[in-house]
Amino acid sequence: MTEAPTVDIWIRRLNLLQLIVAGVIILAPTVWMVLSSLKPSFEVTAYPPTLLFSPTLENYVQLTETTPFLDYAINSLIVTIGSTGLGLLFGIPAAFAVSWTRISWPAILTLAARMAPGTLFLLPWYVMFRQVGMIGSYSALILSHAVITLPIIIWILLPSFDAIPRSIFEAAQVDGCSVTRILWRIALPLVASGIAVAAILAFVFSWNYFLFALVLSNGDSKTLIAAAFNFIGEGSTQWGALMAAATLIALPPLILAMLVQRWLVSGLTLGAVKG
Amino acid sequence: MASAADAPVQGQSDGERSTGMSGAAAALTQDRQRLELAALSAPAVIFTAAMIAFPVVYTVWLGFQSFSSTGRQSFVGLDNYSKLVADREFWHGLWVTFALYVLSLVLQVVLGVWLALALFHAKRLPGIVRSLFISPFMMPPVVAGMMWLVILDPSLGAANYILQFLGLPPSEWLASPTWVIPTVALIDTWQWTPFVALIVLGGLQSLPPSVYEAAQIDGASAFKTFHRITLPLLLPTIVTAAILRSVDLLRFFDIIYITTQGGPGNASNTLNIYGFRVGFEFFNIGYASALMLTLTAIVFGAVLAFNRLRNAVAW
Repeated sequence: MTEAPTVDIWIRRLNLLQLIVAGVIILAPTVWMVLSSLKPSFEVTAYPPTLLFSPTLENYVQLTETTPFLDYAINSLIVTIGSTGLGLLFGIPAAFAVSWTRISWPAILTLAARMAPGTLFLLPWYVMFRQVGMIGSYSALILSHAVITLPIIIWILLPSFDAIPRSIFEAAQVDGCSVTRILWRIALPLVASGIAVAAILAFVFSWNYFLFALVLSNGDSKTLIAAAFNFIGEGSTQWGALMAAATLIALPPLILAMLVQRWLVSGLTLGAVKG
Repeated sequence: MASAADAPVQGQSDGERSTGMSGAAAALTQDRQRLELAALSAPAVIFTAAMIAFPVVYTVWLGFQSFSSTGRQSFVGLDNYSKLVADREFWHGLWVTFALYVLSLVLQVVLGVWLALALFHAKRLPGIVRSLFISPFMMPPVVAGMMWLVILDPSLGAANYILQFLGLPPSEWLASPTWVIPTVALIDTWQWTPFVALIVLGGLQSLPPSVYEAAQIDGASAFKTFHRITLPLLLPTIVTAAILRSVDLLRFFDIIYITTQGGPGNASNTLNIYGFRVGFEFFNIGYASALMLTLTAIVFGAVLAFNRLRNAVAW
């Protein structure tokens, strides 16, 4: 570069400035949501909006007292943990077999579920589950959400299994180890961190998924996300409680995502980007 | 997505592996091994067949059916599809879907590349920056919708207060038939631009530094370096990000359903919202199936087109 070093410094400062502006835009709405949830009810809808106020938990108390928030939260946990577990149970051996044989169609088949609009499956599921009386059951919700978790788990684990040197497996085979034994005894411990990332991302996406629970749950099995709709209906004048609900629903995925942030982006692109 | 597909087929690796063993015993082990591997992927394959493949075939069949209000079902051939061609709401939904798609994709790719460059050129990045960047797209879209619903409230929301503070006229945002699509695009852009930025940043970091050094020695300007060198090398990564966003944007649902349910009027009635309402509010399962199959064809068509584009710009 032929420019004077002062120009360089200014370019760097300008760069920093635009990053700060971007950071504020990214963060401000979320901060506003949390602040609104902590405002006294008469101040939430104050205009002009206030920034300084004495924080209170009354919205959270009101939320748990006037809505079955805890029941919904337990439903969400059951569906999310169930579908993540099912995804791991099916996904780990499948990813191992695909990595071993290089026959990739089972993995690609699960990707179709990631690409098609959920309503496409929801229409036949609704007809099928209604015929066998499964609408509103946890099993229908867990099965449908496993369609979300399975491709995430398979595609995050594939590169982890691929990274294990083949010579390790071959040595075990010479010692008379069966393929299944190699998976449980040798491969699994080696991909433990990949499994943790896969499980956490599957949990987050299952927790966040809206469409299936909207139709397949009922009053007793309603998940938090599906119930968000009720909070809006009741919350048209109750912004404090609405924002308290929004904050609580967003908390588990945000905390979990922070744990795996280093692997998160490559995991989310389902094998399309290595990074 | 491509990495597994262009790997060698099974037969070759099997042949290499069996060389160490004696004939019959080796063949037995081979068979046993193949069986075990098939058994390992069987649960996932059976699950996917039962939950996806069979239901999709069933949807195709449902698309040829008509359901009366009493629940009686009859075969109507291609009636649902000819109805679709004549349905003004379908064409409106297609237009809304494409308007929202193009607007959001352009915003997210342009802003995402710009943000990625800014991040790339910042010498030190505290770890907190990455946490900050992933927070919008790890949040449930439904929560993003609830949050922006309050911020964008036409009479009491913070957004209009900021506009007023800047001396600009207030907007009706989601309540305005004219502005609802740009507003929804803005919410989605807020949520997913950081995702595009992080993918592109990954692409930037994997570019060979020797390229820049050569450009510097040649005395190329910063703009010329970006335009002639960085951008072409980065294109495959950008197209990949565009594919991932296209899949989500063409079946846009959550934020619209939570904030406007397709309104005001039908101003934000995307194909996915329309199909959902036809199916689960009017219980016209046959017509909804035809709508959803059409939307699925559009999504897969877009992915295939982008995939060809990615192969064209690959290096």
